Amino acid sequence: MNLVRIGNVIAAELDKLRTLPAATLTALGTILTGILLAAALAAADQHVEATATTVTLRSVPFVQVGFVLLGILPMAHEYTGRQIRVTLSAIPRRSILLAGKITATALTLVLTAAVTGAASTAAAALTLRSLGAFREMTADDLWHLAGTTCYLTLIGLISHAAAVLVRHLIPALVSVLGLILILSPLLAGLTEHARWLPDRAAAQVYDPHDTMLTAGTGLLVALAWIVLIAATGATRFIRRDP
Amino acid sequence: MRPFNTVAAELRKATTLPAVWAGIAVALFGSAAITLINAFSTRAALDAGHPEARAFTSPFETAFAAMPLGTVGAVVIGVVIFSSEYTAHSVEVGGGRQITATLAAIPHRHTVLAAKATVTILLVVILAAITMPVTVGIARLVIGSAGAETVPLDDAVERCLGGAVYWALTGLIALAITVLTRSGIIPLIVLIVSNSLVSVSLLLTNLTPLAHWLPDMAGRRLFGGLHTVEGGLDALPGALVMTGWAILLLTIAAVVLRRRDA
Repeated sequence: MNLVRIGNVIAAELDKLRTLPAATLTALGTILTGILLAAALAAADQHVEATATTVTLRSVPFVQVGFVLLGILPMAHEYTGRQIRVTLSAIPRRSILLAGKITATALTLVLTAAVTGAASTAAAALTLRSLGAFREMTADDLWHLAGTTCYLTLIGLISHAAAVLVRHLIPALVSVLGLILILSPLLAGLTEHARWLPDRAAAQVYDPHDTMLTAGTGLLVALAWIVLIAATGATRFIRRDP
Repeated sequence: MRPFNTVAAELRKATTLPAVWAGIAVALFGSAAITLINAFSTRAALDAGHPEARAFTSPFETAFAAMPLGTVGAVVIGVVIFSSEYTAHSVEVGGGRQITATLAAIPHRHTVLAAKATVTILLVVILAAITMPVTVGIARLVIGSAGAETVPLDDAVERCLGGAVYWALTGLIALAITVLTRSGIIPLIVLIVSNSLVSVSLLLTNLTPLAHWLPDMAGRRLFGGLHTVEGGLDALPGALVMTGWAILLLTIAAVVLRRRDA
């Protein structure tokens, strides 16, 4: 019974996301940005032994912005009008609603991340080939691409958790973007403890360079952050007036 | 009297927006916190006798490393001063938008935009006048006499003024883009990204030197010192180019605001 129920909730939430112009545009815009950036980076990097994978990895810090927005929109759009009341009237069990929403968002994020990674790699490979600088890819490259998909999904989920916590679009957008683009690089230059920040830990998944965290432990640290932020947000969502 | 009243009204509206105070808090407390961490690690390196472990030991440079957070604050102020006009009210109070009330009170749209621009500049300049001395003061207190100040006073004042100009121009550009998009999403993303280490315009300079003429690349030498990248425009021409961008975008915003339905 409950399984059917949550399946319906996920389907409903996916339907809402598909018909939300902002979400569709963000997903398409992110994929397009990834393609353009990969082509531009490939053209800039053609002389430095770049492969399609290294170019795609270099574009990740830029395209992650799209995933921040894609993670925030599913929650924030509920609060821009009266949507949240309709949603809660349809699904009064708030924990099930939240579980369905997080699952639907995660599915959307994984799909967009996989398409972005594949499309960026294809664009980089085509650009390198047309410039005569193409190098064969190896099995390692595939793992790196799986890592970028995982990282971009994690960034999206961190943003989604932040949106569950603060509800509204602008505060969520500013705090997540400020954290991953401004605060985290600043702190990384100041102290080695910055490795424990959610985005730094998650980055180990596609670019393991830390002396302490590995891809696996980095993933766990990032997941711990997501659970912590989402659990705080969920408590608030379940206990307070909408 | 009329323009003054309009500015006073817009100032009141801006200072009663929680988001404006959030932007101010990000800039002020965020910069202060970064400066504290930075200054304590500089102090620790100096006390341990390893000043070479730090990129710089001067209190002023230590404080100035936190400047990007102030830019985020300026962007937030510039964006929400206009995006708040387009946010729908709750259904209980009619579901309208602030912009209709604003334009009913002040039908001359250029006056509204000019007043909002004035308020943006005013708030950002006040923010800079508080944040910069506070962060430099924190750095001096923590580092104390251990680190020699390598930045002379007139240089420091010049860079603070340059930083304040950069913040104000960024706030104005944020305001202008928000008028065009009627929502805060695009200006927030574009301007926070362009002031971070993954700046798209920085990336574009690898492809074409023309990218040095984009607003954020043109203005970056206003901060002086560490934040500079090879090549590009000097401080003064860069400031003029950035001002040109702000004026251009505000002009487009004024034309669009005037001709479009609210």
